[in-house]
Amino acid sequence: MTQDVEMKEQQPTPAPANPVSPTSPSVLEQLKDISALIETGAYTREVRRIMRAIRWTIQIRKKLNVSVLSAFLNSAFVPGSEVHSRLAAYIPKEDDQDMEVDIGTSVTLLSKHSLPEIEIYCYLLVLIFLIDQKRYDEAKACSSASIARIKNLNRRTIDVLASRLYFYYSLSYELTGDLAEIRGTLLALHRTATLRHDELGQETLLNLLLRNYLHYNLYDKAEKLRSKAPRFEAHSNQQFCRYLFYLGKIRTIQLEYTDAKESLLQAARKAPVSALGFRILCNKWAVIVRLLLGEIPERTVFMQKGMEKALRPYFELTNAVRIGDLELFKTVAEKFASAFSSDGTNNLIVRLRHNVIRTGLRNISISYSKISLADVAKKLRLDSPNPIADAESIVAKAIRDGAIDATIDHACGWMISKETGDIYSTNEPQIAFNSRIAFCLNMHNEAVRALRFPPNSDKEKESAEKRRERQQQEQELAKHIAEEDDDEF
Amino acid sequence: MDPRTTEVSQLFERFKAAILRKDFDTCTKLLSQLKIALTGFKSLPPSFEKTPNAVHELTLARDIYEHAVVLSVKIEDQDAFERHFFQLKPYYTDASGRLPPSPQEYPILGLNLLRLLVQNRIAEFHTELELLSASALENPCIKHAVELEQSFMEGAYNRVLTARQTVPHETYVYFMDLLAKTVRDEIAGCSEKAYDSLSVNDARQMLLYSSDKEVVEYIKEEHPEWEIKNGFVFFQRAKESVPCKEIPSLQLINQTLSYARELERIV
Repeated sequence: MTQDVEMKEQQPTPAPANPVSPTSPSVLEQLKDISALIETGAYTREVRRIMRAIRWTIQIRKKLNVSVLSAFLNSAFVPGSEVHSRLAAYIPKEDDQDMEVDIGTSVTLLSKHSLPEIEIYCYLLVLIFLIDQKRYDEAKACSSASIARIKNLNRRTIDVLASRLYFYYSLSYELTGDLAEIRGTLLALHRTATLRHDELGQETLLNLLLRNYLHYNLYDKAEKLRSKAPRFEAHSNQQFCRYLFYLGKIRTIQLEYTDAKESLLQAARKAPVSALGFRILCNKWAVIVRLLLGEIPERTVFMQKGMEKALRPYFELTNAVRIGDLELFKTVAEKFASAFSSDGTNNLIVRLRHNVIRTGLRNISISYSKISLADVAKKLRLDSPNPIADAESIVAKAIRDGAIDATIDHACGWMISKETGDIYSTNEPQIAFNSRIAFCLNMHNEAVRALRFPPNSDKEKESAEKRRERQQQEQELAKHIAEEDDDEF
Repeated sequence: MDPRTTEVSQLFERFKAAILRKDFDTCTKLLSQLKIALTGFKSLPPSFEKTPNAVHELTLARDIYEHAVVLSVKIEDQDAFERHFFQLKPYYTDASGRLPPSPQEYPILGLNLLRLLVQNRIAEFHTELELLSASALENPCIKHAVELEQSFMEGAYNRVLTARQTVPHETYVYFMDLLAKTVRDEIAGCSEKAYDSLSVNDARQMLLYSSDKEVVEYIKEEHPEWEIKNGFVFFQRAKESVPCKEIPSLQLINQTLSYARELERIV
């Protein structure tokens, strides 16, 4: 479960407008630039600037150390002020002499009238630092303090920072194993976010709550919350991926395999390439769901770069299901029992037994036009006191569920397979073709809708009039797509 | 011990005595009184106040609800079972840190699994299953229900029926009987599709009746469309789905037009 925590930390997007110059300014300089960025963002109310600031911070997080942090705090707040002393308390003391140097150069570059944005940002910075240093108890204290502070602030420019804080807040509690404690706080925060129309916050908090519930296998509660919480267009791709993953898990447990498969595959596809752990987890679940649906995942699924080893148990499992060999299935399940139970997929694998039998039966039905039930039992390797009677009722159920097309002759103890009809004489291929086309077209439309045009890119300087005209066109197109989307397919 | 707890304990003793006497009317009456009395305890869920007798009160309340669940099985009231079970559940999940585990916990959880199975609520069955730890799954009471579900899904109905003889707890019998009825309907449904005809004798064995007369009655009541002739049961086979000869033209036109429109937008 811990792998997908890493997703947020490994953001692939480099800060676009502020590439780290080859001379690489000191970390402190960079931090100051970031806080300047946040300040401008706060004054001009441009949330995008603050997002960029956060991305930049994540880039330099590995270079943070105590001296840089305290120097930064000194420059951001008046030393001795309430905020400063509160934050400084969380930074571990270090007997390092180069502190002097840093403080010396840190003559007030920033205006001292500290904005709440800067304060929250400092909380975030300290929190990230504490988590990286594995000082989880301090991290817990720091995050709780920051959450208490955030509750009293109501500014849209803080929402972005807050959503990150929520994440690290939950992470620090998860690392110490006290997730259940913060459930009440998270729910309260979610309610506040909903009332303030802070959609990013709602998204983040909903995911954290789902994660919280699923951590304790409370699928029932998770589903109740999920189905009742407001949903809207996703703001952050990462959060959307997680949401899809949690949704997929819930649906798998509740036996809605078709929907589960869709969510899990989408989550795996949308996740950033660098979030390997998350993608592996999605793939594991997706493989099982597809097996439960009676599909056999392609070999390429297991051969994706960096995943071969992690997916090995699932590969062997698939193999056993594909052949329909109960013995082999049992051996694989036992061999990798520890891997499956650490993935939390053990109970799902128990469910698979039924599919192994089905596949085996289907193979038999295709190969033989007439076979005695005793042979069926032998081929399926049913180990029960009365294999023939078991085989008979299993075959009967498979016939009723439409898995095989056959009849049973009870008097002689035979199973007689029927000729399989020509699939191309039905509407089946047409329907399959249509669903694929629909998928591709939908993908294209979503891509068009997701395009973002920077308002003042340097490359083409268009006149104000021209731009207005273009924007209008774009809007019309988007509206057009949105409208047609409703009544098609 | 404070007087209120003593009072509830005494009431509970009378309730237990009534259960032993199988005087279920008195039980129901006493149970409602007990429930009202329990609302006076502040240490119970959802408030979980940390009062000095919290552990004692919680244990008492858990005991009462456990008996309430068993009582609802005895009076064969499935709705009451569900209600009582949900009232009991927080004592197993949320109060687990405060209380020593109850010896009744697994039998009752297993009973609930069985109920979900009987009511064919498989999704909830699996949701409950996820809450159980690996060691809980090894418990005979839970294992029994889990194996039943597997046999049921596979279609190995014989195993479901033989499981009745190996029930881990006497209260399970009620649900097992209900399950047998469900299984019979399932078998009938499968046979209809899988066989062209069956001798009445075979049908009797398969549907687990002791006499041919019962079989005939069952068929008359549940499946009047089956035909009984010369000691054989003939099933009305569902009509084979014929390959599609007609082209769904309107649908195709609609689809093609929408492709054209979408393509125009792309190019």
